[in-house]
Amino acid sequence: MQQRPSYIGPIGVCIIIVAVLLFVGATYNSLVTLGQAVDAQWGQVQNVYQRRADLIPNLVATVKGAANFEKSTYEDVAKARASVGQISPQVVQNAINNPQDFAKYAAAQDALGSALSRLLAVVENYPQLRATENFQTLQAQLEGTENRIAFERKKYNDAARAFNTKRDTFPTVMIAGLFGSRFNEKPYFQAQSGAQNAPTVNFSP
Amino acid sequence: MRVRVSAWFVIVLVSVCGTALATAEFQVPPKPTAFVTDTVNALSSATRTSVDGELRAYEQATGHQVIVWIGDTTGDVPLETFTTETAHEWKVGRRGHDDGAILFLFMKDHRIRIEVGYGLESSLTDADSYRIIQDVIRPRMRAGNVDAAVSAGVAAMIKTITPSYSAVSPPPSESENTAPPVAGGIVIAFFALFAVFMAFIAMMIVVRVIAAIRYGYLVLREGPKKAKADMKNWAFASGAAGGFAGSVFSGGGSDDFGGGDFSGGGGDFGGGGASGSW
Repeated sequence: MQQRPSYIGPIGVCIIIVAVLLFVGATYNSLVTLGQAVDAQWGQVQNVYQRRADLIPNLVATVKGAANFEKSTYEDVAKARASVGQISPQVVQNAINNPQDFAKYAAAQDALGSALSRLLAVVENYPQLRATENFQTLQAQLEGTENRIAFERKKYNDAARAFNTKRDTFPTVMIAGLFGSRFNEKPYFQAQSGAQNAPTVNFSP
Repeated sequence: MRVRVSAWFVIVLVSVCGTALATAEFQVPPKPTAFVTDTVNALSSATRTSVDGELRAYEQATGHQVIVWIGDTTGDVPLETFTTETAHEWKVGRRGHDDGAILFLFMKDHRIRIEVGYGLESSLTDADSYRIIQDVIRPRMRAGNVDAAVSAGVAAMIKTITPSYSAVSPPPSESENTAPPVAGGIVIAFFALFAVFMAFIAMMIVVRVIAAIRYGYLVLREGPKKAKADMKNWAFASGAAGGFAGSVFSGGGSDDFGGGDFSGGGGDFGGGGASGSW
């Protein structure tokens, strides 16, 4: 029994090592969890962008049918959609770990968004087209989709912010660096210039 | 080193400020406690009661939660930002089904918005919502008949979501339904129990690891026989310690119980729906 005090040193060291290991593990896991939330939300952002892209062929076909509709506006939309399509799905998937790709994708989508709002503004000059049920339905779908995009982007930014805050605050920041680029900061969507007042069309006669 | 430390400090500061900004966008109205909430007394009380009963009956029959909220203005906040954020906060609809829908009217702004949860987006599409607003709600609002606008609008939403549903006579309006909060309580209780269980397991693992290390140390120091005897005494003591820690954890976990006065069951929204004005 008189040896007992001599255990305390080694046991203390062991406890400290285990505690540190548990702490590193818990931190790692919490970063993985937050990172997965960002991934899931990134998937939602892609879904709503895809939803918008799927509406475009129908929209272009509808406005093409209108008598002497300004060709350049719907060609711009088609072009912008094509340039979004040029970014490969893998690049888009991994864009949250690559700020350059992320910025490129966001810029291409923003360009498509502004081409679309120009098109909708031009339609204002075609009352007959505007009055068709087909166009009104498309317009409602487009507006709904723009709203979804704005909201999912915001939710993405919230998820990315939660991750980055955890990642960059003490003491997590000491541990995040140990795993190399595994826990890089997630990029944010910038506020779209003029996107807040996106095409709201007044239907009052 | 100095540079790195101050860089961390700046990052921490920026991220803390960022979080503060993110949450302070605008004040979401308090969660409604009824299916029809009229904050500006635009409805007659007869209509409010009957539509409320209708929507409660609809929820009991189908599980879908459709609610009406009438306010004055969204202020400087864009309509869709206001309603989508609010719907997201209120969590109307069942968790996992996301089958909530909200009809918003803003009397001063003359704006209408139908907000549709993820789970109803395919049965109440944006185009459907747009049609309901344009063809059903808007003309009645223009005529100044809010009662008719709300009851016809709600009827059209229900008809669109569940074409086979025929309204049954609303049950006597009792105090706000209590079932969903109970369901929520069970879920929370389950998670709390699970957390306690996991904490206990973690505790056991830690004790085992420490015991193994100690045993190895004792074997090296005193030989296997004496080590075993020593371990027996020690395991008893540490086991008691583990049990104590477990009960402390369970005390902490039970703090999560209670709460939840709204009938909303955790449904989520993604900005589906349509807007209009009168």
